[in-house]
Order: sequence, then structure tokens, then C-alpha cells
Amino acid sequence: MRRTTTISALAGLATLLLSGTALAAPVTVWIMGDSSANFDALVAPFETETGIDVETVAIPWDAVDEKLTTSVASGQGPDVVQIGLSKLRTFADAGALLPLNDLVAGYPGLAPENFADGVAGDATAVAGQIVSVPWISDTRVLFYRKDILEAAGFANPPATWDELRAMAKTLTARGDGQYGYYIPQWDSPLPVVMTWDNGGDIVNADGNVDFTSPGFAAAVDLYTGLHADGSVPKNGDFDQTQGFISGIAPMLVSGPYLAKAIAGAAPELDGKWGITTLPKGSASGTSLFAGSNMGVFATTDAPDESLKLLEFLSKPETQVEWFKLNGELPSVKAALADPALADDPLVTVYAAQLADAKVLPMVSNWDGGVGSELLKALNSIVLTGADRATALANLAAATAGESIN
Amino acid sequence: MTRRLAPYVFVGPAMLLLATFGVFPILVAGLVSLTNMNLGGLARWSNIKWVGLSNYAKLFRDPDFWQALWNTVFFVGLGVPCVVLLSLGVALLLNRSQGPFFRALRAFYFVPAITGIVAISLVWSYLYNTQFGLLNYLLSLVGVKPVQWLSDPTLAKFSVGLVAVWRGTGLNIIILLAALQGIPRDYYEAAALDGANGWQRTRFVTVPLLSYALFFVTVTTLIGWLQFFDEPFVLTDGGPLGHTTSVSLFIYKEGFRGSQFGYASAGSLVLFVIIAAVTLLQLRLRRRDLE
Repeated sequence: MRRTTTISALAGLATLLLSGTALAAPVTVWIMGDSSANFDALVAPFETETGIDVETVAIPWDAVDEKLTTSVASGQGPDVVQIGLSKLRTFADAGALLPLNDLVAGYPGLAPENFADGVAGDATAVAGQIVSVPWISDTRVLFYRKDILEAAGFANPPATWDELRAMAKTLTARGDGQYGYYIPQWDSPLPVVMTWDNGGDIVNADGNVDFTSPGFAAAVDLYTGLHADGSVPKNGDFDQTQGFISGIAPMLVSGPYLAKAIAGAAPELDGKWGITTLPKGSASGTSLFAGSNMGVFATTDAPDESLKLLEFLSKPETQVEWFKLNGELPSVKAALADPALADDPLVTVYAAQLADAKVLPMVSNWDGGVGSELLKALNSIVLTGADRATALANLAAATAGESIN
Repeated sequence: MTRRLAPYVFVGPAMLLLATFGVFPILVAGLVSLTNMNLGGLARWSNIKWVGLSNYAKLFRDPDFWQALWNTVFFVGLGVPCVVLLSLGVALLLNRSQGPFFRALRAFYFVPAITGIVAISLVWSYLYNTQFGLLNYLLSLVGVKPVQWLSDPTLAKFSVGLVAVWRGTGLNIIILLAALQGIPRDYYEAAALDGANGWQRTRFVTVPLLSYALFFVTVTTLIGWLQFFDEPFVLTDGGPLGHTTSVSLFIYKEGFRGSQFGYASAGSLVLFVIIAAVTLLQLRLRRRDLE
């Protein structure tokens, strides 16, 4: 009697398991970072609700390129993958991502109007195809040392880039080895942001990369001017966190990760520093929309399950939960307006800046191509005294033919 | 029959390994260098197109490639003589005694060669750091302004080269030391009887008898420096403004950061030809010396 119960129980369990696997294929997700624990916790309710098993693999940021190359070459990728916005075009060009234009219609939670304008729909489409869904947001804001600015007679952070340049000059005059501002020599989006703020763009109406707009010329003036004033350190190994904490470089444009680094390394500075939206150029105070999107791998055998997961991740409450778990900002408008975020004064500034932020032009391989050529040109002017016209002509030659189409 | 086959059986495994991991990749790189292979090509082989020699044409027009090539020439010119002479000098000094102090020194000189490159880069980037580096701190004690060890385009070449010299000597010292200890004492005794002083004994007995070891050290060091990669990769990433980018680093960046596998293969083939030519030249010179 007892044996029969066990057997029937086992049989029942087997049917349950079998039907479970038949109903929903497991979904493998690659998320960027060092640990998958938080993401596992985030998707646990989704797993119980839908019966879809989610396997999370954490990919360290600096292994992204290798992982992508091997997964594309072998055709053995995950089902869902987190993609930094600067890599999106590379992924899409490699044919690694499933085009979603026709598929999102069936998932109201994935409608472009739900997401922040800077990344929604066409803003992150590659050659007219939507290949990803916004996931987390990241932006750049102005960090400044309240105490140092006040000691120099400035009650408020600079409201315009011109004002910033003048203030940086005054702050540099504090003494030997002191600076007013810091420009990381590896920060390729910064000159682009300066171009946007002066009403220009580095992509023309035809979608080709074009460094001839007056806005870009103004950005070069600003970039080289800050160096010519002696307001920024010229050594490439300058440590921005230490420079800010020690007050050597009391202003810089950076992202939320710097706020975390400062709070962690120098809690005693609490209250002595602040962040604000970017200073304005002649046109705007637009900043960079960084962040990551989620895409579905082209080789997936579980597209429906993957999209269900993406829809779950795009729920405002999931996004707020992720902010609480991992500190990364939501990309869904409703979540950005959530009171849970408004409690944090820093997040209020990030949210305000995200409303006026754009993604880098979707050219192929920004980091290794256009971005590094841009930095090379500008840095050769400011570091080795290269002729401006020659450097910009070289830049134009090196990036000729690059476009977002 | 068995006797005829025996040598092939012994040589076979090594040849197989060499063919698989040495010759075959070069052939593949040669093929790939004639295509526009990139990430899209990896995903779908139908995306790959034959482009003939245009990768090579582009390479020789690329100012970045020429910069990398001249940087490599500079590194070889600086590094190889430094490593060989320094290794020889240290090996000669270490050979003067077998005491425990000298044995400890031997270990001391060998440590850089077996330390992980990550640890080395970490330590040296702190030593070189402009703001809080030890070197600049020591200089500040005597009133010298901060030096931009890794940020000044010219100085960075020397800074990166120094680390590689420091790292490269250890193994060569051991090789030369072993060769030194293989020289029979009799020669020195004979030379001393003939009235040769210390310098003459080194110049006319030690150095000629070391020539094979020195040749080996020079060839391997030269090949190593032609493929110079680790130190600039971890210390400067080829910066500032490409002034420490070696050809290997250039190839790596084009291939794995830019996903231009065809272009990078063309670069690696050019580097292979250069290394092969330089090594053949050395072997030829050596043969003439022996004759």
C-alpha cells in the first residue's frame, strides 16, 4: 500500500516536471557585473509566476568583447543579454540580436513610449531596426566641491560652460599643483556632449559622421581652452576620485559610480560636495545617456519566454526593485518618477539629467573607432601641441565613411 | 624498416604539435588576411569577402601602423642591448662567488622573471604615478617637480622599456650563469700562468667561450622585444597618443577591440615576416662568424 503511494506520488511529480519543461523553456541571461545574486533575487517572482526557469550568468565588464566574439563565432549565446549602449551597434551588426520591431507589438510592457525618451524605440534602433529594450540608465552630471567653490567666492556651481571655464581658471590659481576641472583623457563622450550643448552634432543629416559643425568647433574651443588655461591636469594617470577628494580638481563631469566611490572613500566629505545637471552651452545642457539595454540573442530557441522576461524586467515595480537591490537607475519613465527614487537627492539630479540626455551616435565600434580617433585628435592638440587644423583634418580622414546607417 | 621508421616516430609528436599550433595558425592568418573578416563574418561565413591584398595596402598607408613599427624599432634598439649587457654583467659578478649571499642575490635577480605581470603593472604604476608615486615623492624631497613618467610621450617609452628590461634580465642571467659555470677552471689557470689579468681573462677566455649562450640569449631577447606586448598593455595601453604602442599591441587592438580580424591578420603576418627575417639574418651572421 505504502509503495503504491510512493510510486503514484513519483509518477505525479514526473508528470508535473515533464509538463513544466514542455510548457516553458529555460532562459539564460547574461548580465554585466561580477555577481548574479541580485539578479537571481529580482527574477525569483517571475520564475514562480510563469514557471520559466531563469539562469543568470554574470559577465565581468572587461570580458564583454571576448565573450561576444566567442558566442557569435560559435553560435552558442545566451537567450537574453545585457548590452552596454556603446556596444549595441557592434552586437547588432554581427547579427547577434533578434530584430524586435514586429515582436514587441504583442507585449504592451515593451512599447517604446514607456521608456525614457533618450533610449526609447528609434533612439537605440540600429539601421532602423529595434534590436533591444532599455534596461538601466546612466548619465553624466557635474560634480563639484561646495567648500572649495565657496572659499573661492562662488556660491553656486557653474550654470554654463563659459562660466565653468572662468571658474576653473580662478580655482587653478589657488596654488601650484591645483586645478579647476578634470577632463579624463579616455572620456570620448565628453567632447560629444560639449558639441551637443553648443547646438551641434557629430553626425550630419545624412547620418554620416561629420566633425565640421559649428557646435563641434565650439566644443574643441572649450576642450582645448580648458587645457590652454592650465585648468586641467595633463597627466594621463590622474586619479579622478583622489583628485576630487583631495580638492586638486574640484569640478568634473562624471557618472553615478563616482558618487559611490567618493561616498565610500571619503565619508567625511559628506555635505561638502554636490552634483548638478550639466552646465549649458550656447544651446542646451544635454548630457550623455549611457546605461544598458537588453537584447534577445538571434540564436535563441526561447524567443517568447525571453520577451516575457523582458516585459517583466520593464515593469516599473521591477525596475524600482532593481534600483533598491543594485543601485542602478531605471529606464522606465514611471519608475523614474517613483517616490522611492525621489528620496535620494543625488537620484533627483540624475533623473532630471536623464530627461535631457542622448545616446552616442550608433556608429559601428564607437570605443575602438570614432571615439578613439576623436580623443587622439583632441589630445594631440592639448598634450603635444599638434596643429589644430591638421589634427582635425586627420580626424576627418580617419572617420570618413563612418555612419549610423 | 623499423630502424628507418624509428626517427620519424620520435620526431612525429613534436612535428605534429608544431604543425598544429605553429604552422597551421600562420596559414590561417595568411588566408584571413586576404578577407574582410570581422565580427559579422564570424557570425555568418557568407558575410566574408575576398579583398585580395587591400588589407596590406591599407596597413602600409596607416600612420598608426608606422608609429607602432617605429616604436617597436625603438624598443628593440633600447631593450635588447640593455638586457644582454646587463644580464652578462650581473652574471659575471654573480659568478665570482658561491657563497650564501651570492646565492640569495641570484634568487633576487630571478624574481622579476617569475612574478605575474599583473602584480608588476600594479606596483610599477604606483611607483610611476604622477600624483602619489614613490619616484615623484623621492624627487620632491630634493625639490624636483613631479615627472610625468607614463604621461609624457617621450618619457613613457623609457619608463615602459625600463620595466621590461628589469623583467627580462632574470631568465637571461640564469642562462648565462649556467654557461659560465660550465667553463672549465683550467682555462683560467692557464691564462693566469700566461700573465693575463682579470679583465683579460674575462675578455679573452670567458666571453669567447660564452658566445653560444650569448647568441641564444640575443636571439630569444630580440624575438621577445619584436613581440613586445605585456608591459605597454598593462602600464599605458599604448598611450599617451600611441607613443608606446608596439606592433603586437597594434594588432591586438585592431583585432580584438576593433574586430577587424582580416586587417589584424595582415599586421600579424607582416610582423611574422619581420621576425623571421631578423632571426635568419642573425643565424647567417653567426654561421659566418664560426667559419
